[in-house]
Amino acid sequence: MFTQGKLRRRLVTGFAGLAAMALVGSIAAAPAQAATEEAEDPSVMRIATDDFIDSFNPFTSFYLMPTNTFKYMYENLVANSAETGDVIEGLATEWNTEEGGKRWTYKIRPEMKWSDGEPLTSEDVAWTYNQMMEKDELSVANGGLVENFAKVEAPDESTVVITLKEPQANNPGQEIPVVPKHVWSKIDKPGEFKNEENTVGSGPFQLESYEANKSVTLKSNPNFWRGEPTLDKIQYRYYTNSDAQVQAIRSGEVDFITGLTPEQFKAIEDADGVETNVGNGRRFSGISINSGLADADGEEFGTGHAALKDKKVRQAIRAGIDIDTLREQVMQDYAQPATSFVPSVYEKWALPEDDPVITGFDVERAKKLLDEAGWKEGSDGIREKDGEKLSLRFLTDADATVEQNTAKFVKPWMKDIGIELKNEASDVDTVSERSTKGDYDMYFSGWSLSPDPDYQLFINTCGSRPDAEGSGGTSQDGYCSEEFDKLYQQQHVELDENKRAELVHQALALHYEDTASITLWYQNQLEAFRSDRFTGFTKQPTDGGIIANQVGYWGYSSVEPASAADASGGGGMGAGGWIGIAAAAIVVIGGGGFLISRRKKSDDRE
Amino acid sequence: MTIPTHDPPTPAGGPEPDSSGAGGGRDTDEPSKGGSFLGYLLRKLGGALTSMILVIVLGFFAFRMLPGDPVLKIAQERRMSPAQIAELRSQYGLDDPLVVQFWDYLVGIFTGELGESYVYRKPVSELIVDYLGPTLLLTATAAVIAITLGLWLGQLSAWRRNSPFDKLASSTSLVFWSVPTFWLGLILLMIFGGTLQWLPTGGMITPGLDPWSFAGIIDVITHLILPVITMVAVVYAQFLMVMRASLVEEMSEDYLTTARAKGLTEDEVRRKHAVPNALLPTVTVVFMHLGGLIAGAVTVEAVFSWPGLGKLTFEAISGPDLPLLQGTFVVFSAIIIVMNLAADIVYRFLDPRVRRA
Repeated sequence: MFTQGKLRRRLVTGFAGLAAMALVGSIAAAPAQAATEEAEDPSVMRIATDDFIDSFNPFTSFYLMPTNTFKYMYENLVANSAETGDVIEGLATEWNTEEGGKRWTYKIRPEMKWSDGEPLTSEDVAWTYNQMMEKDELSVANGGLVENFAKVEAPDESTVVITLKEPQANNPGQEIPVVPKHVWSKIDKPGEFKNEENTVGSGPFQLESYEANKSVTLKSNPNFWRGEPTLDKIQYRYYTNSDAQVQAIRSGEVDFITGLTPEQFKAIEDADGVETNVGNGRRFSGISINSGLADADGEEFGTGHAALKDKKVRQAIRAGIDIDTLREQVMQDYAQPATSFVPSVYEKWALPEDDPVITGFDVERAKKLLDEAGWKEGSDGIREKDGEKLSLRFLTDADATVEQNTAKFVKPWMKDIGIELKNEASDVDTVSERSTKGDYDMYFSGWSLSPDPDYQLFINTCGSRPDAEGSGGTSQDGYCSEEFDKLYQQQHVELDENKRAELVHQALALHYEDTASITLWYQNQLEAFRSDRFTGFTKQPTDGGIIANQVGYWGYSSVEPASAADASGGGGMGAGGWIGIAAAAIVVIGGGGFLISRRKKSDDRE
Repeated sequence: MTIPTHDPPTPAGGPEPDSSGAGGGRDTDEPSKGGSFLGYLLRKLGGALTSMILVIVLGFFAFRMLPGDPVLKIAQERRMSPAQIAELRSQYGLDDPLVVQFWDYLVGIFTGELGESYVYRKPVSELIVDYLGPTLLLTATAAVIAITLGLWLGQLSAWRRNSPFDKLASSTSLVFWSVPTFWLGLILLMIFGGTLQWLPTGGMITPGLDPWSFAGIIDVITHLILPVITMVAVVYAQFLMVMRASLVEEMSEDYLTTARAKGLTEDEVRRKHAVPNALLPTVTVVFMHLGGLIAGAVTVEAVFSWPGLGKLTFEAISGPDLPLLQGTFVVFSAIIIVMNLAADIVYRFLDPRVRRA
C-alpha cells in the first residue's frame, strides 16, 4: 500500500538528493576546471615511474630513480656526450694530465651560477670531492669513485687539481655530482639530509617537491649554463605496475614511459598521439658460468660442476647456443647482436664483430670440443667421464619471462651436444643468494655499463673476487686470469685512447676465449611518448639510442611542447571529474535518504 | 555452505571465520551463570595476546629465513667497494648476532620503535602512520559499500529464496568472488582508464591538487571509484551469503508467524522482525572480515598504484626491506587479531540468548 507517509518520505529524499547534486555540481565545476588545467599544463611533462626512492641526497642515495634525477640536478666536472658517451666539457672546459695520469688539472667555466644565483667555482668542486674522501657518511653511494683520489685542491677560482694515488686513464671527473658548498656546508648532518625540496644545483632541472609514492616534481633551472630548458617542469608520477603505465600513456595521463616489454610495446605502437622509441641500450644480458670459484686469496668455494673448470667444455656450451635465434625469438628482435660484455653503443670499446676470436653457433664443433675434453656420449645420449654425467644446473628467475624462454631454447640445444641442462627456476632472491655462494653451474646475468669500460673490466680481475659470504669485492663471473689482469692494468693507465681501445679489445677477446660467461644480446630499451604533446627528445647515442636512463642530462633537456593545436586533453573537466561528482552525489543522496529513513523509523516505533 | 576465502589465512592461527552464518563455529561459550562475562573476556584476551606474541616472534624469524641479502641487493650492479658494503651492513645492524638483532626488535616493538626502513631511511612506525590513511580511506569506503550491498542483496535473496532473483544474485556474487582480484582490477583499468578514458589509471590524487579543496575531494573520489569497485566486487559475496543464511534460518521461526497473524504486511515482517534478528550473527562475521579486507587491499593497491600500506608491503617484500616487512606484518596481524577480539566481544553483547542470562 502506498501510504501518505511513504510518499512524503520519498519526495523529501528526492528533493534532498537533487539539492545535494546541484550543490556538489556547482561548487565543484569551477575549481575542478581550474585544477585540471593546472595539472594539464602543456609545459609540464609527466613521466610514469615505479622506482624506489631512499632520498635525493647525492652522497647517499642508491636507487635508480634518484640517481637518474641527480644527472639532471647536478653536473660533473666532465660530461658524457649525447652522440657517443665520450667525455666532453662539463663544469670544466678543458683539462690536462701529468705524471702519466696521476695528476689531473681542470679549468672551470667562468661565470657559472647555481640555481639560486650564487657563483659556482672550483671551490665547490674541491669541497664536494673532499667531503666524500673525508667523511664515511658521505661516501656511502659514490665512495668507490674517489677511492683512488689522494687529494683534490682548488688553487684558484677556476682551477681544480686532482692528485690520484695511482695513475689512471679514465677521466676521474666523471659521474660525481658536484654540490654547492654554500648550501651543503651549512647542513648539520649532511649524511642524513633528505634534500627533497627546492634543491640548489647547476643542472637543467631542480627538484621542486617530492611526495613519496605519489610524485616527484622538477622545475627548470634558469641559470643552467647551456641555456634554460623549454619545459617548465618534469613530473614523475607513480604507477605501481607497468600495465597501468601503459594504460596511463594511452589515456594521456602521462607523457613518457620506458622499460616496456615487447608485448606492451606492440600494444601501444599504433595508439593515437603516441610515438615509440626502440633505444639501443647500455646493458648486456648473458649466461654466467661457474668455472670454479675462489675468493681473492685463492680459497675455493661453491658447488660448480668440475667439468666447467675445463675451458673446452665452456667453449662447447657457447658453440652449442644459437644466440641469433635466441635474440629473435626470446627478445623478439628488440635487442642488438652481442660479442662480449661491453655493449655496442660504446663503439670505441666494444669487441668488434669481426674479431677473429668470435665463433658462431656450430654443433659439430661443440661435440668435437667435448670429445677432446674426454666427455663421451653415454647410452642415453648424455656425455659421461669417469662415471660422472655431464648434467648442469641453470639458475633462472621464475618471474622473468625472458629467462624462462631462454632456458626453454637452450635445454634442447644442450641435449643435442650431449649435455643435460636442468632449469632451476626460483625467485630472484634465491638466485642472488645461490650465485653469491657459488651454488650453481650457470645462471642468467646482466649489467648496465657506464661509458668508460674500466670498472667493468676491473670486476673481471682476480682481486675483485668476493668470498662465499659475498664479502670482499664484486665480480662479474668470478673470472680470474693473470693475463687478463695484465691487460687490465695496461689499459688502466694508457692515456692514448686509440692504444687503450686496442688493449681493451685484447682483454675482451681473452675473456671471450676463456668463456667465463656467454653474452647473449644487448637489450633495447622500449619507450613511448605522447608526440601530440611533446617533441624534441634527445637520444644517447643520438643515433638509435635511449631517452631515459642516460649517462647525462640530454634526454629531456631539449624537449619542447608540441604546437598548442595538437595538444590533446587540454583544460576543461574530463569525464572522470563528472563521474566523481556523480559518485559524490550518490553518496550524499544515499546518506540523506538513510538519515531520513532512520528518523522515519523512530517515528514508526510500535 | 562454506565460502572459499580470498584473504590470506589469518596469521598466527586465529580462528578462520566460518561463514555458514548464524555465528556457527564460534566459541559462544554457552552462558554459565554469574561473572561469566569477565572470565570469557579474559580468556579471549589471553588468546589474542598469545596470537600476538606468536606473530611478533614469527615476524622476525620468518623474514630472516627469506633468501637474499638486502645489502647485496642494494649494491647490485653499483660500483661499491668492500668497505662501503661493510659500512652498509653495520648501518643496518646486520652484522650483529641474531640474538642481539632479535632483542633490539623486541625492545623496539614495546617502545613503538619498529626500526628504520632500509629504503626510506625513515622510522617504520612513521611510515606506517603515513600510509595508513589512504588504506583506511580505500578499505573503509569499500567495506561500507560491500557490507551494505551484501546485506541488502542477502536479505532480498533469502526472503525470495530459490526465486530467479535469488539464484541470479547469489551466483553473480560468487562469480565475482572467484575472479582473481588482480585480473578484475586490470580489466577495469584497461576499459575505463585506458580505452574509454573516463577514470584515472592510478594514484589517489592528481599531483598539484590540494586534497582538502573541493576540486581535490572530487579528484580523490574519482580516483577511488575503480579500486573500490574492484574491492567490493570480490568481497561482497561473503556478506551476502552470511546474511542470506542467517535470514533463511530466522524465517522458519515462530515469531514471524505471530507477526503475520497480527496483520503486518510481508514487507513489514521482513524489515521489522526477521532482518534485525538475522543481523546479530551477521555482525560478528562482518567484524571478522574487516581485518581481512585490509589485507586484501594489498592487491588492489598494487593494481591501482594506491599509495597505502598495501603498496608499502609490496615494496618491502621486493626490497627485502626487513624492518619495514616486520613492521607491516605486525601491524596487519594486530589489526586482524583486534578485529577478531572485537567480533567475539560484540557477539557476546549482541546475542540475545546471552543477554537473557
